[in-house]
Amino acid sequence: MIICNALTRRYDDITAISDLTLTIEDQEVFGLLGPNGAGKTTTMRMLACLISPTAGDATIGGHSILDRQGQQEIRRITGLLPEAPGLYDTLSAHANLDFYGKLYGMPSSLRERSIKEVLEKFDLWDRRDDAVGTFSKGMRQKVAIARAILHDPTYLFLDEPTAGLDPKASKTVRDYIVSLREEGKTIVINTHNLGEAERICDRVALINGRMIQVGPPENLAKGLFARTLTVTLTEEDPSLAERLGTLPFVASVEASGARLKLAVTDPERTNPQLVRWLVEQGAQVQFIEEEEYSLEDVYLALIEESGRR
Amino acid sequence: MIPQNAMAVMRKDLAEFRRQKLVIGSIIAMPLLLGILIPISLFAPIAMEAPDGPTWDVENLFSTGALDPSWTMPETSSVLEGIETADVALSNTRVDNATIERAVLTGCIVHDTELRNATLDSCALDNVDLYNCIVTNSKGTALDGNAIMSIDSELTFERTRESDLEQLLPTFLNMTLILFIILPVTLPTIIASYSIVGEKNNKSLEPILASPTTDGELLLGKVLSAFVPSIASTLGAVVVGGALVNVFLAQLGEPLLPNLTWILGILVLAPLACIMSILACVIVSSRVTDVRAAQQVGGFIVMPVIVLMFGVLAGVILLTPLAMLAICAAFAAANGGLYYFAKAIFNREDILIRWA
Ligand SMILES: Nc1ncnc2c1ncn2[C@@H]1O[C@H](COP(=O)(O)OP(=O)(O)O)[C@@H](O)[C@H]1O
Ligand SMILES: [Mg+2]
Repeated sequence: MIICNALTRRYDDITAISDLTLTIEDQEVFGLLGPNGAGKTTTMRMLACLISPTAGDATIGGHSILDRQGQQEIRRITGLLPEAPGLYDTLSAHANLDFYGKLYGMPSSLRERSIKEVLEKFDLWDRRDDAVGTFSKGMRQKVAIARAILHDPTYLFLDEPTAGLDPKASKTVRDYIVSLREEGKTIVINTHNLGEAERICDRVALINGRMIQVGPPENLAKGLFARTLTVTLTEEDPSLAERLGTLPFVASVEASGARLKLAVTDPERTNPQLVRWLVEQGAQVQFIEEEEYSLEDVYLALIEESGRR
Repeated sequence: MIPQNAMAVMRKDLAEFRRQKLVIGSIIAMPLLLGILIPISLFAPIAMEAPDGPTWDVENLFSTGALDPSWTMPETSSVLEGIETADVALSNTRVDNATIERAVLTGCIVHDTELRNATLDSCALDNVDLYNCIVTNSKGTALDGNAIMSIDSELTFERTRESDLEQLLPTFLNMTLILFIILPVTLPTIIASYSIVGEKNNKSLEPILASPTTDGELLLGKVLSAFVPSIASTLGAVVVGGALVNVFLAQLGEPLLPNLTWILGILVLAPLACIMSILACVIVSSRVTDVRAAQQVGGFIVMPVIVLMFGVLAGVILLTPLAMLAICAAFAAANGGLYYFAKAIFNREDILIRWA
């Protein structure tokens, strides 16, 4: 379990992230979602014990990131994919991975086995002896992810794992992340890509210098917009639209031909009344449906609204 | 003994160097070139000017008449000692410790004397400086001078140059040693300046720091990866250079190298100087943001050894084995200090977040 408690980090005069409080459950794929400069990388670096918070605390698997001993323990049980892959271009994929295997104290037989396993998983085993400098961007990213999971960490931090990859490579990486979840790893993913968060994350925290909202990606919209109902009539009826506006639970009405858009706050409670009222008014109702906002709209609106500071 | 992580960092670095032709070239070619050029420039002239031919047995020269049995020692009836004179003719005189110009000497025994524009016949000479002299039917040893015409005489010249050489030789050898010790100081600077900044610029510092590698292990690994190739190629250069020195000085008899000063210099002082240079570079490398700046600052690191060299040249420092031990102790102490300083100022967070 990862618990952030009022985690805050300032750089000189910029507060990159302030007061972040959240809990990430074991075996969860958790997204830190936010635009560039939202403080995602900063948060991840604090969790990976690369930089220290200027206020607040976090624990990973019960070890505090503020405690020296805890940091060393956290480094052992976590794997990090940084923003940039940071591979050694002149060395082979195998040599790159072997080096990190040693840094994590893996004995050579285990190292060999793990390297083979991860490289095979990414279809890179045949290219193991080629210099990483000759690899495509997607292949390099795969090697970097392989590096992060080589020592079989319990917690995995992936900072924008698909950034700059073409759609095919992105899909490989995403599929792989999903398969890692099945292996029981707890994964934190930084992304500014809503679609990605939606596809692979169990829950996301929308952040922009601070926490905006946390929950399953499909719940982001809840409570943000007044919800919208679309009532479709068999024929146009302007006077009905006017009369609808006088109902207490209808905030606004917008008519376009035979379609009426109603803004309501609690449709679960008020829809029966609405339907009864429409029938009483003699309206010929064809459909009543709730408008689905795209997550994209929600995301943009939330970011817009939060601003920065 | 050496932590596994430090070894891993070193091995990784060495594997990287192997693929960088420039690094390999400069680390192997430069020392070998110096190993050959230094002995040639310092010792080859000596080899070419050194005297050859037999040396007389000074003890027996005057008592037995030496090589030529028909030659007999002149008999002297008077003694001239400690004078300075000119335009004289001397016969059957024993001359000691004198300076004489424009003279004619017949049947004289001359010791420790300077003769100019003289004509000598049937004389025995020992340790005499002869300038523009004509010498006939004489014997002599330990002579020095120029424009001597000797007819039917057996004269052995012991040049002043050579006796000077004997005094200069230790200084020459010491200077050569110091020149070789400059190698382990300069060689690692390229690698060591690259150590931390290089990882940062390659963005590979972050994954290393995210692993359980400690600051000490990382620093040690970086020191080792600069140390191993530098010392190896220094040793190669010294073996080549030392062998050449021995070849050039072969006429002096016993090989002069390795002597104790050299052994201490190469096996103790060179590694210490190397580590000092590396630590200084690593410190700089963890404080600046680009590789080139690190290398420029790294250039100052030769200073202690340069100071040592001028000290030796000026005769202020005599590199006796004991002095060597003292110098080594000083370097070792400096290294201890530098290591703790490097560890103290190594701030991983700072290095990571400082804008490149
Ligand atoms: N090393 C740094 N020094 C100073 N400011 C920084 C540094 N790293 C990040 N920041 C600032 O902190 C904020 C958050 O950055 P970051 O965590 O990288 O965001 P994200 O990863 O979400 O794009 C930004 O305003 C950025 O300019
Ligand atoms: Mg980022």
